[in-house]
Amino acid sequence: MTRARGLLWIASTTLRADRRGTILDAAAACVGAAALVFFLALGLGVSRAAQRMFPADARLVEIVPGSVALGGVLGGGKLDDDAVARVGRLPGAAAVWPRVSLRVPMAAPGPPKGLDYNWPPGMTVQLPVMGVAPELVKADVGEALSFEDPGTADRPIPVLLSRRLLEIYNKTLAPAWGVRRLPTGVSIVGLELPVKVGRSIVPQKTEDHVYDARLKLVGLSDRVPIYMVAMPLATVRRLHAEYGKAEQGYTQVTVLARRPEDVPALTAAVRRMGLSVDEGERATAERVGTVVLVTTGALVFLAAIMCGLAALAIAQSLSASVRARAKEIAVLGALGAAPADVRRIVLAEGAIVGLGGGAVGAALALGAAVLADRAAVSLLPDFPFRPETFFAFPPWLPALGVVVPVLAAVLGALAPAAAAARVDPARTLS
Amino acid sequence: MIRLRGVTKSFHDADREVPILRGVDLDVAQGELVAIVGPSGSGKSTLLYVAGALDRDFGGEAVVDGVRLAGLSAESRADLRNRAVGFVFQSFNLLSGLSAVENVMLPGVLRRDGREAKAAIRDRAEQALAGVGLADKARQPPARLSGGERQRVAIARALFARPKVLLADEPTGNLDAVTGEGIIRQFAELARGGLTVLVVTHEERVSRAASRVLHLSEGVLR
Repeated sequence: MTRARGLLWIASTTLRADRRGTILDAAAACVGAAALVFFLALGLGVSRAAQRMFPADARLVEIVPGSVALGGVLGGGKLDDDAVARVGRLPGAAAVWPRVSLRVPMAAPGPPKGLDYNWPPGMTVQLPVMGVAPELVKADVGEALSFEDPGTADRPIPVLLSRRLLEIYNKTLAPAWGVRRLPTGVSIVGLELPVKVGRSIVPQKTEDHVYDARLKLVGLSDRVPIYMVAMPLATVRRLHAEYGKAEQGYTQVTVLARRPEDVPALTAAVRRMGLSVDEGERATAERVGTVVLVTTGALVFLAAIMCGLAALAIAQSLSASVRARAKEIAVLGALGAAPADVRRIVLAEGAIVGLGGGAVGAALALGAAVLADRAAVSLLPDFPFRPETFFAFPPWLPALGVVVPVLAAVLGALAPAAAAARVDPARTLS
Repeated sequence: MIRLRGVTKSFHDADREVPILRGVDLDVAQGELVAIVGPSGSGKSTLLYVAGALDRDFGGEAVVDGVRLAGLSAESRADLRNRAVGFVFQSFNLLSGLSAVENVMLPGVLRRDGREAKAAIRDRAEQALAGVGLADKARQPPARLSGGERQRVAIARALFARPKVLLADEPTGNLDAVTGEGIIRQFAELARGGLTVLVVTHEERVSRAASRVLHLSEGVLR
């Protein structure tokens, strides 16, 4: 039996002898651990849900033409190829992807093939289309599928939709229309939607020439605006040429910063060029993120106070125990325990109490999270982006739930341990 | 085995210093059973704790089992107490939350070289209890044992580490006559077996069993 194990054995048998006191101390550590794990898991879970709802990439900057009319008159603030090239040369810019809105109307008079049940009878949907650089959405294109301009009308045009649109369709549109929900995930990739190019639901805006085409869904992406269909930039240019629409520059340009820290300088440089930065989505995401962070921080702070109170409770309890056990501590000294051993025994008592309380607390937090999720399922409506769980339990979290109470308990045991080490066996036994 | 030369010890009482031991010289050889008698407050227990490396604030020279105590670190003194010294107290001083066998295991658990497995320590502790006739009480807490049984558990604990020296402070003070006689006989047997036994007592019957009786009075040993 090593010395450390021997001291641990003495600590555990001492705690066992005072079951009631040990359970009370462990309960204090348990409450602190449970609160810490529960609130942190809630904060992480809600943060994850918020990121799903507002998937802002910290490195992306959305540039739109300058809003000051004078700049436009003088040639500044226009998003043309020259401006895109200049933006691409800015320090901190890793890539630049222009976007153009399709100015040729396009409408879907019927459902995608095989999804008749998901379409209200007789409904025609006007499709807002944005042409995007293929590199912008490269990572989101399905396997063995291509996001390139097909060149001719008889081949389907590849398109991408916002991942969030599917969620909104399933949770809001489908129930409102009384139609079936679409399967989530990539299982709808590959669907083809018949469309009429040149047709608008506003009769005056319908072009003279209308022809049939097909759109093929090749992927879902967070980089596609939520209520738009994204098709290759080259396709939009081809359609503009077909219908004699003059080039008007780009609608929007997405810049990828090398690092998130480069974004402020990049934004400032873009503004100096007379261009504007669309911070709507980013600002919303940042606001939501800040609210979640502040709320989680406040709750974790509360949990930290609980752990601190647990440490104080353990300190008080162990101090009383050391005073009551002075003679027994002196006997341990007579049997061969040095002051350092006595100190370690009391610290081990604190650690054991923290460990037990922390482990039970972490388990309780896990159970409480399961119950809270069940309650949410039965009490909350099925709104868009409602997460499966409001909690996230990364592997380090339960470990933290045990380590923090152990540290708090050991901290609480420091003063009693020092007092125990000061017990003079000769004087105490006399 | 025990050698004290000019040992002095005093306590501070308010602003004055109260001498307890005034230059005590003592030699106890291996296998000797020496009794120290004296009135209450004469410094008998203090002398015992100096000889047992439990008290460090004393003057003079003390050597136990060949180890000079002066200047010894707290760790080394604790190690010496664990290996070479066994204590038996008047009020038994068993740890109330531990069973009889767990009390006996303590010196083994506190051993610094720590080579013996816990199961082996427990086996030896049970044998030690059997040796003092308490095999059937091993799992009992001290509160369920009689005074004599508690003292026998304390003796088993003191002898567990096979010490060279046994120091007993009024070992029969809380026992009835018959039980006390049994304990004294056991000490005499241990001394005959080679153990050095130093007993502090004020009881005649203990003195009668001792090979030497020394009187401590006003801090001086005679």
